Amino acid sequence: MIEFKEVTKRYSTGQIALYNVNLKMRAGEMIFITGHSGAGKSTLLKLIALLERPSKGQVSVGGKPLNKLTRSQIPAYRRRIGFIFQDPHLLYDRSIFDNVAIPLLISGMGTAEIKRRVHAALDKVGLIHKEKHFPLMLSAGERQRVGIARAVVNRPTVILADEPTGNLDPELAQDIMYTFAQFNELGATVLIASHDHALVERMQKRTIMLRKVE
Amino acid sequence: MANRQRKPRSRSQTKRTGPIRAWFHQQRNAVRFSLNRLWFNPVSTWITLAAIAIALSLPTSLHLLLNNMQTLTDDKREVPTITLFMKQNVNEQQTKDRAELLKELPEVSAVQVITREEAMEDFKQIGGFAETLETLPENPLPHVLILTPKLSFLNTNEALTKFSDKLKAYREVGNIQVDIEWIKKLRSILNIADRIVLVVSVLLGLTMLLVIGNTIRLDIQNRKEEITVTRLIGATNTYIRRPFILGGFWLGLFGGVISLVIVHFALLFLIAPVNDLAREYGSNFTLHGINFTMTLQILVLSSVLGTVGAWLAVSQYLWKSEVVSEN
Repeated sequence: MIEFKEVTKRYSTGQIALYNVNLKMRAGEMIFITGHSGAGKSTLLKLIALLERPSKGQVSVGGKPLNKLTRSQIPAYRRRIGFIFQDPHLLYDRSIFDNVAIPLLISGMGTAEIKRRVHAALDKVGLIHKEKHFPLMLSAGERQRVGIARAVVNRPTVILADEPTGNLDPELAQDIMYTFAQFNELGATVLIASHDHALVERMQKRTIMLRKVE
Repeated sequence: MANRQRKPRSRSQTKRTGPIRAWFHQQRNAVRFSLNRLWFNPVSTWITLAAIAIALSLPTSLHLLLNNMQTLTDDKREVPTITLFMKQNVNEQQTKDRAELLKELPEVSAVQVITREEAMEDFKQIGGFAETLETLPENPLPHVLILTPKLSFLNTNEALTKFSDKLKAYREVGNIQVDIEWIKKLRSILNIADRIVLVVSVLLGLTMLLVIGNTIRLDIQNRKEEITVTRLIGATNTYIRRPFILGGFWLGLFGGVISLVIVHFALLFLIAPVNDLAREYGSNFTLHGINFTMTLQILVLSSVLGTVGAWLAVSQYLWKSEVVSEN
């Protein structure tokens, strides 16, 4: 499903984030990526979401090399991916419902269908009762869950999460990990970057450890 | 959590809305969204609209002024004439023949013959001349043709000159007196004014483009986060651009409407003194307002300028920020 072939990423600052990475993920797998901060976890996810391009090597998703995608094909590709950031990047001038609805609006869905899907996604993360609230009225954990709802509302085939539990208390972090496991059981390929070793071990999933490049 | 009967995720992600309906949904959402933006930022919206309306009403009113001046040279108003004095040796029949021939010309609307006898009678009516004329051995006056031209055929100064040269060249004609010199002069002035209006219009059109472009640019700055997020989620540039361009369109359109209102009120303000002046001169001149075509032209022009201004602003931003990195 996702394949890295000898991928190196060097930023324009000269910093090498990834060096000669080879990686294969099957469809429907759930994988954790761990490593110290600066080991290139975020970079790896960004390469999949095409937020960055590799300096060398090739990343393929669903058998298609990403460097073959033209600029105009990128938006359609990104719609198949749900990306969850450490900071959920919510739009503060819109309600929770409207925030979660954005991906559906982009794909031009009808109002009734949007309502149904947004409710389903909010229900999934346990925030159905807060749909009319605004992001600033929510706690950090709730905002993170809104971010997750927005990432999954379009039913993506791949879910990428960059430190989704970074600033949450352990119980909530555990909850969120279980939510991801649920999405995985429903068929999505899930890739989570986390430095929380204890939590990752408890999930008992395949784990990839990135070491800092010397 | 009862209604969790999701099918496994596959490429055919449930029943997708058809592409045409999807497109309509997106358009409708963009229209609603862009109007909301204007409505909920009343201060900046009104300031921009006022700037656009003023920028538009200036060239519009100048243009209108010019149009009104031009109607002074129209056919139906004060009818200017060309007087043809026949040579002394030309007799009455020859004069009448020439008059018939002149009537055939497309540039001529009417020809009136005044024989030298009639002219004499006229002169005698004017007090004091009668005795002087008695002393003359014969009638010194020539036969005269008074010709009313069709100005629609002579709408340039060159055509006018050419026509009077042609009249002068007739064998029978001794001298001509063109009573339409003032029209020539007025036209020359109007031609200059026309150019001035054009220059002013272009400059103010550019101003409008900049005002709208800048408004949209500020709007983009305020919504940078939103653009980044929607892009990460998979919005196309077209999708991102749409509400901004519509925003520019609305600003242009509403600005045009307000400018029409301004010009209209200015006209109402002017109508009474202009009519007074016209009456003083015994003229039936009336002020012409903005007609339907002009209204349409202004609205189309202003909305096109608004759209273009917004398009430039968004495209410039999207192009600059094409390489997306997080945040």
